[in-house]
Amino acid sequence: MTAIDTSENSSAGESAILRVRGLVKSFGGLKAINDVSFEAAAHQITAMIGPNGAGKTTVFNLITNIMSKDAGKVMFLGSDLSGMPAVKIAGLGLIRTFQSARVFPGMTGIENVMVGGHRLGRHSLASQTLWLSGARDEERRLRRRATEMLELVGLSAFAETHATELPMGAQKLLEVVRALMAQPKLLCLDEPAAGLNDTETQELANLLRAIRRLGISVLIVEHNMSLVMNVADRIVVIDSGAIIANGTPAEVQNDSRVIEAYLGREEHAAS
Amino acid sequence: MLEFVQIAIGGLVVGSIYAAIALGFSLVFRVTGAINLSQGGFAIIAAMIGYTFAVAWGWPLPLAIPAAIAATVAVGVALAAFTFVPALTRLSNANVLMLTAGILTMIEGIALVVWGSQPYAMPPFSGEAPLVFGPIRIPTQAFWVFGATAVCIVALWFLIARTKLGKGLRACAENPAAASLMGIDVPRMTLLSFGLATLIAAIAGVIVAPTTSLQFDTGRLFTISGFVAAAIGGIASFPGAVIGGLFLGLVTQLSTAYISSLFSTAISLLILLVVLIWRPQGLIRTGVARRQDTREEVKAAGHAAKLPAYLGWPLAALAVAAAVLIPLAVTDNGIMSGLVIAAILFMTLMGLDVLMGYAGQVSLGQAGFMAIGGYTSGYLAINYDVASLLAILAGIAVSLVCALVLSVVTLRLRGLYLALATLAFGLLVDSCAVGFLDITGGPSGLVGIPSFSVAGVTFATPRAMYYVVLALDVIILIALVGAMRSGFGRALKAIRSDQMAAAALGINTVRYKLAAFLISVTLASLAGSLYAFFFNFLAPEMVGTSRSLELVAMLIIGGESTLVGGLFGALLLTLLPTIFAPLAIYKTFASGTLLIGSFLYLPQGFYGALVQILARLTGSNNDVSRSASTAKSEVPAS
Repeated sequence: MTAIDTSENSSAGESAILRVRGLVKSFGGLKAINDVSFEAAAHQITAMIGPNGAGKTTVFNLITNIMSKDAGKVMFLGSDLSGMPAVKIAGLGLIRTFQSARVFPGMTGIENVMVGGHRLGRHSLASQTLWLSGARDEERRLRRRATEMLELVGLSAFAETHATELPMGAQKLLEVVRALMAQPKLLCLDEPAAGLNDTETQELANLLRAIRRLGISVLIVEHNMSLVMNVADRIVVIDSGAIIANGTPAEVQNDSRVIEAYLGREEHAAS
Repeated sequence: MLEFVQIAIGGLVVGSIYAAIALGFSLVFRVTGAINLSQGGFAIIAAMIGYTFAVAWGWPLPLAIPAAIAATVAVGVALAAFTFVPALTRLSNANVLMLTAGILTMIEGIALVVWGSQPYAMPPFSGEAPLVFGPIRIPTQAFWVFGATAVCIVALWFLIARTKLGKGLRACAENPAAASLMGIDVPRMTLLSFGLATLIAAIAGVIVAPTTSLQFDTGRLFTISGFVAAAIGGIASFPGAVIGGLFLGLVTQLSTAYISSLFSTAISLLILLVVLIWRPQGLIRTGVARRQDTREEVKAAGHAAKLPAYLGWPLAALAVAAAVLIPLAVTDNGIMSGLVIAAILFMTLMGLDVLMGYAGQVSLGQAGFMAIGGYTSGYLAINYDVASLLAILAGIAVSLVCALVLSVVTLRLRGLYLALATLAFGLLVDSCAVGFLDITGGPSGLVGIPSFSVAGVTFATPRAMYYVVLALDVIILIALVGAMRSGFGRALKAIRSDQMAAAALGINTVRYKLAAFLISVTLASLAGSLYAFFFNFLAPEMVGTSRSLELVAMLIIGGESTLVGGLFGALLLTLLPTIFAPLAIYKTFASGTLLIGSFLYLPQGFYGALVQILARLTGSNNDVSRSASTAKSEVPAS
């Protein structure tokens, strides 16, 4: 695999893979998202943080058109995502996960991961029904890759286990691996650390760094400060539906508004 | 004008009964989120018990009627306590719907065993003489119907809106989990709602009994009409149920009078389909929309039975060998025909399994495509001497066109509304089969269909036909196994369990669902044609809605998402009645009971049970998960 060196973060910041401009969304009279603009840089981990109810997941859902936005524009790799169905967005290489690990129940761990590779399959229904060798080879290759992926994150033991019987941490990891199988250009993770214990969070951090080394851009919405401070290249802080800070972890950490809105409480709770 | 008024009053009488049944639908739906198809069955049971009490035993009506209602409610509550209530926590709503179809079938079976298949009519409550208003004559029973319905509506409204009990019921509807945390006994409320619905159905049954003749399977019509009425009006709304019921009653009566009785059902079903396209929630929407959450399906998805890999091929070879040799041992023509029918139905079931078991799309109208295929190819073969194979292809083509039109509706719908739309489609085909006399031969059927023949060879005997169907079954099975174990099957399963997550991974859900639908339609149409060629005859009831429901029952009893499971269901439900011919009267009862039993105790069907036994015998441990759960996940190398 070709690892791309991303040590020179500053220069990579110029090539944004995702541009969000002037996002607005109201629920009834409440303006949940108010003029949110930010960018996710290529080959970097961009994190969006904020207190509970700040609108992080809403932003995610607006980007991927799970909710419709009132105003604003989302550009991904030069394409306008407005009104685009979820399938097409995924087809462009923007793959997202969900806050409540949405593994496919009734399917085993490895089957779940293999579904991730589905969009890259080239063999038709006809060749599958005829048991053509091409289709069967593809199936074998997919299974091999899925097995490798599960090994990589230490989930091999769960390959034949039904996904819903996995522990919560493993389910979240499984969802990330499944998304990776789809070979995303931008991987969007919605609170991947929610429900994980400290060890599992550490594993997740390692996985995120490994993903960045593969050259995959990551946008992560997260609640867990230590994870974000550890892995993110850039951090966007959102509070009450508006962006209050945007910068490197160090810059954000020293921003007085952020401390007021978020860190103060968080540090207090952590100690 | 006079005639119109007279007919409209008749329509309102029928409509009141529909409204009462629809009210029961709304009530159970609002409290549990599930549809209870057994309602019509209870209406008939009540009417029949009432007949026995009042006519056979000579009890006075004021005693017989309440006693019949009470007895019916007791039966209903007892049945629900052991079936409906436990099922709600285990099954998805779509499967609960099928379970209640099983209850309906069982009730019909009981009615058939106890009262036989002849029609019954009760005497009117207040004598035969109608009331005369100038030129308009209204039978006195009509007033009983209006009065009883009105009392039911008011009493139900009072209970729900004004009492503490009603508050509890409403809480269950909004959020069962939270309600139970607040100390509300949800199973008891569920039972109560079922009991109330049964009560309303029972009242409707005894009140309507004098106006029409009833037999063991009339309940089906009440259920369907009530369901359609509730759906037109808005399934979660009580006013909607009433308006839908009255509207449906008026439309059917007026169209029977002024257009044709043959198409009156077709017209009401077309109205329903239009409503489903235009306003899926029904004409009257209530503020509280129940969540049609895809994760609901989790309960249903379960874990399909899977043979240990090394057993798969040898067992399959063994089964095919057995299937080839069986006819040599069978001398009885009835059993041989039963085998052919089972083999033909298995073809439909494989398609239905792709649609329901894998893609998770309920279809209660699959026999409709058997009908389209069968009638098209039969008609072409009789009238134009078209060769069998060409006729079959033509049937498939017509079916696919109909399927594409229907998919405009079905692709937008899920769960309950999908079940409803497919049911409506099946009924629509049904009523067209009865109505288009020139093409289908109407109720008496299409006669003189030639036997299946290819290149001058005619397969006229059951045995010859058996081998034709068997060969096709094997080919289709191999092809479908290939698709279901590859990406296609995986994509369908993913869509079934979480459509949004599947789409987010780049799976084109619409395309896959459509493909699954078209596969099932092709197979149903093919099977329908073979069915017609085999019997040299096709009548509407052979491929009607009862058949559709039977197909679903077979699939569930055999085992969903296994492809081969359907074979067990088909064999069981076709061969048992043939082998135990003297017990044929118990067939309906047995299939209902089997369906309920499978849902509750054999979630993986007979096939699943068989696989488990096999796995235990061969000592292969299917349960990797137990050993895996102790394994610790490692930190990925960084």
